[in-house]
Amino acid sequence: MSIVLVGLNHKTAPVEVRERLAFSDEACAEGLRSLVDGETVQEGLIVSTCNRVEILAASGGQRAPEAVGRLSQFLSSVRSVPVELFSGHLYTHADEAAVRHLFRVASSLDSMVVGEPQVLGQVRHAYSLAVEAGTAGRVLHKLVHHALRVAKRVRSETGIAASAVSVSFTAVELGRKIFGSLKGATVLLVGAGEMAELAAQHLAGAGAARVLVANRTYETAQRLADRFGGEAVEFDALEENLAQADIVICSTGARDFLITPEMAERAREARRNRPAFFIDISVPRNVDPAVARISNLFVFDVDDLEAVVASNIREREREAERAELIVESEVMQFQQALRDLDLGPTVGALKDKLRRIARDEFERQRGRLGPLTPEQEQAIEAMLMSTVNKISHPVIHRMRRSYDAGEEGEVQAWRDIFGLEPKEDERR
Amino acid sequence: MLAAPRPFNYNEPSARTPTRFAMKPFLYAAMAGYVIAAIHAVLSFVNKRRAAERITLYTAAFGFAAHTGAIIFDWARDGHYPLFSTTEALSFLAWTLVVAYGLVTYRYPLRALGAFLLPVVSLLVFASQFVSVNNVKDPSSVTGGSGSWLFPVHVTLLLFGYASFFVAFAASVMYLWQERELRLKKFSAVFHRLPSLTTVDDVASTAASVGFTLLTLGIVTGVIWSRARSVRMFHNDPTEFFALLTWVVYLALLHFRVQWRGRKAAWLGVGGFTLVLCTFVGAIVLGGFHVFR
Repeated sequence: MSIVLVGLNHKTAPVEVRERLAFSDEACAEGLRSLVDGETVQEGLIVSTCNRVEILAASGGQRAPEAVGRLSQFLSSVRSVPVELFSGHLYTHADEAAVRHLFRVASSLDSMVVGEPQVLGQVRHAYSLAVEAGTAGRVLHKLVHHALRVAKRVRSETGIAASAVSVSFTAVELGRKIFGSLKGATVLLVGAGEMAELAAQHLAGAGAARVLVANRTYETAQRLADRFGGEAVEFDALEENLAQADIVICSTGARDFLITPEMAERAREARRNRPAFFIDISVPRNVDPAVARISNLFVFDVDDLEAVVASNIREREREAERAELIVESEVMQFQQALRDLDLGPTVGALKDKLRRIARDEFERQRGRLGPLTPEQEQAIEAMLMSTVNKISHPVIHRMRRSYDAGEEGEVQAWRDIFGLEPKEDERR
Repeated sequence: MLAAPRPFNYNEPSARTPTRFAMKPFLYAAMAGYVIAAIHAVLSFVNKRRAAERITLYTAAFGFAAHTGAIIFDWARDGHYPLFSTTEALSFLAWTLVVAYGLVTYRYPLRALGAFLLPVVSLLVFASQFVSVNNVKDPSSVTGGSGSWLFPVHVTLLLFGYASFFVAFAASVMYLWQERELRLKKFSAVFHRLPSLTTVDDVASTAASVGFTLLTLGIVTGVIWSRARSVRMFHNDPTEFFALLTWVVYLALLHFRVQWRGRKAAWLGVGGFTLVLCTFVGAIVLGGFHVFR
């Protein structure tokens, strides 16, 4: 049994190619049914997201090269895109490499933003589509379940998804770092701007109790406030509002500092020294950098946030290296499980056969042995079984080695020697 | 006939040969538990591992159970409150620290505390086995006389107070560490493992006020006990001096905490704990009335 994977992703193919090959859910189910022919391709699965299209298949015996050809042919015909258009962007993996690739995809190590959580859901969704279409068999069941487990392990044992990698989420995370929970916090939004709004939205989503919106034009403030379920406040009353706000997001077009150290100091006194967090996303800056020198006040401007994002990305990459080790060990485990799945029936049949021979011989000679005590009976049984095991052990060992080396013919030769018929489901 | 009461002499070596090695297995088990817990706490702190966190909790709980057993056995065997020698005091201090650790982690999301506290606990238990082995103060020097029941209360209150101050100290260090990184905008890997500023600030102030209460009660019981026994209220030794200084510093800390919060309060927490160390170490190094022997 081999596992084959053919696909392209954001690294290998431009969006023009990816969009032409992407599958909708219906197309996916339909395609899967036409893909699986029971010969070269016995099981199939299609992962199609905005960043990747991957076709995963299980094929019988030594048919990996054949299956790879079939998969790219299939991709071309089912999406009616000529092969030449995408063949340069395509990567193909077989067996161990295919397993590793799927594990890395599910663990979000292959994503554009390493550690993003969506891809796991997408893999799960692709699997459920394949299950519905009836194209996921015992190999893919095992493979996908194992992949989901690996993803979970990577997520919990490494910090791959631990820190924010967007400016607005970084703001939320820093807020959490200062205030613990953001529940009950008051956010003051000064001015409007895409990033500021996004940050305010995330903060509100994280449980901020109140969002105050100040803008030079009161109507704009009102409109924004309605969107966050917040309240519009007078722009001129900035200082009073500062005293209430735990988190202040500034994003105005003002040419000079709106928030001076004196203002901040007074607000801090009014707040009885509770900490406050200033996020200044405006250029030129709205918050005087001197504010940052006041104790219990924390100021982050655009550059600071970007720097945090960059360091978080580096941290993720470091963690990704640890994740790769986990993936590697899991790939080995899976390969072993797969081998047991494949060779298991043959090994079982071999042992059964030898045992049957031994028992039959014993029965035939039983009459001549005369009366035996139960202990003697057991001793003979034990002797026979250990003889059988000692004969079969090196054979099984060799069979496994041949299997690992990909010598399907050798395994078959052993089957022939002992006259073992592979079971029904194995012959497929 | 009752024997005549012995005159008070705290320098007199004990005539009793201590059977100190009787209940060692319990203490060794506790030590093993603490050391494993400490290692895993540091590991999970430096290098996020959930499994390590779990091991920390279990081994610390095991160590605590064994330690409690050791103390109870000591008590039962010696027939007096197990707080007379330096050995017993160090071991008991470690025990109170673990109690504090349990209470804090139960109440606050502050697993990181283990990385600070458990190594200290391990060291204390370890050290308790290596100090002044052949000097055991005769318990009768303090069990006799009127108001003798105050002595264990006095020592227990103070040791629990010290444990609280240690928690306040650790939380303050965590505060300053994070505050510094937030200000410099450069974050180390450990930064993400530390709880939020508000949490550590909260823990530091709660621990400081609990510690302060215990310290106050401890000093008061000490004074009463001293009066009841030898009329003198003070013995003018370093421990008393430092204890009073500590008391003043923590009083200031609690007073200013509301106004200051944050950085200054955290520095006071660190400073106060330095004095606590002086009190404890000073007692041993400089000698005087309060030395555990």
